Amino acid sequence: MDELEFLKRDWKKQDGNYPKLSYDQLYKMILKKSSSIVRWIFIISILEFVFWGILTVCLADQEYWIEMEKIHLKGFTIGLYIIGYIITFYFIYRFYRNFRKITATDSASVLMENIINTRKTVKYYIGYVLISTGFTGLVYTFFTFKYHMASMEVKNTSLYEFDYTQWLIFIGAFLVFMLVFLGLIWLFYKLLYGILLNRLQKNYKELKRLEIEN
Amino acid sequence: MHQNIVHKICRIYTNDQASHNDLFQEVTIQLWKAYPKFRGDSKFSTWMYRVALNTAITLYRKKKRSIQTQDYDTVHFRIQAQEYDPKEEQQLSLMYNAVKELNDIDKALVFLYLEDKNYKEISETLGISEVNARVKMNRVKTKLKKILNP
Repeated sequence: MDELEFLKRDWKKQDGNYPKLSYDQLYKMILKKSSSIVRWIFIISILEFVFWGILTVCLADQEYWIEMEKIHLKGFTIGLYIIGYIITFYFIYRFYRNFRKITATDSASVLMENIINTRKTVKYYIGYVLISTGFTGLVYTFFTFKYHMASMEVKNTSLYEFDYTQWLIFIGAFLVFMLVFLGLIWLFYKLLYGILLNRLQKNYKELKRLEIEN
Repeated sequence: MHQNIVHKICRIYTNDQASHNDLFQEVTIQLWKAYPKFRGDSKFSTWMYRVALNTAITLYRKKKRSIQTQDYDTVHFRIQAQEYDPKEEQQLSLMYNAVKELNDIDKALVFLYLEDKNYKEISETLGISEVNARVKMNRVKTKLKKILNP
């Protein structure tokens, strides 16, 4: 007899022997997908925090603090670090809470709400990074210009003073530079979290469909 | 009924229970995602076989590059029935092992053949011509014979 025919006979006998999953069990499989995406958002936020933490520690050497003292920003920088870390920790906590909530739930409506919350948290986080970077950039530039002259040994300071038009050009160029810089940061975060957020959005739509169908 | 199809595909493409469960989950999710795109051009079962086999083949190729799984009992899902015949059982085991040695596309052909699909349905599911399906199937039979009788 043909080997495959022999196998086919056995193959047909097995139909009743496979485990059957209920609708609820199948549904939980889709839930798991969402929780793994939110887990990745949480992991990335921690990695990002560690990366910036290491970078700050490496860059902030003795010389850096002397420079900061010269432009009267040492206190401001320390304060900024503390506030920055507190806010970042708060966001990590929020990401973790989102992750826990999504893992723990097996109700579609709660999960959809959690997905919306996660997306919101990520958006707020990106907003915070952009605003804080813009604000810090402005403060540092202002103080550098204000106190830099005093620390330089220049005999004829009038050579380095701007007239009205020069100030306008300078401020304009600075604003353009800041916008480009912030745009790049925005793009970076869009890439970093955007892919995950899009997937989460897809899951959201799928869950919505599931709700409508049932 | 439909879950059985997914289980049987998993059986052909995996070697252990954990991979079977993983693939089952993946195929189910893909079917669920792809369902809105089902336009009714073909029979539902043909569409389902196509999506499920594509997912299995894609994951099988990925897995092959990364993990080597342990062999599980080839008669895992079989009930040890009263008509248990050790000789027949041994031959079946050899046959299943031979199928496992085939490449991913050949496995799909064998699977559809075992599912009692005619060449028209096989060709529609795999997106090849009917003649091509016949030729490929004959080659698979020859390959199996060679594996079983080296």
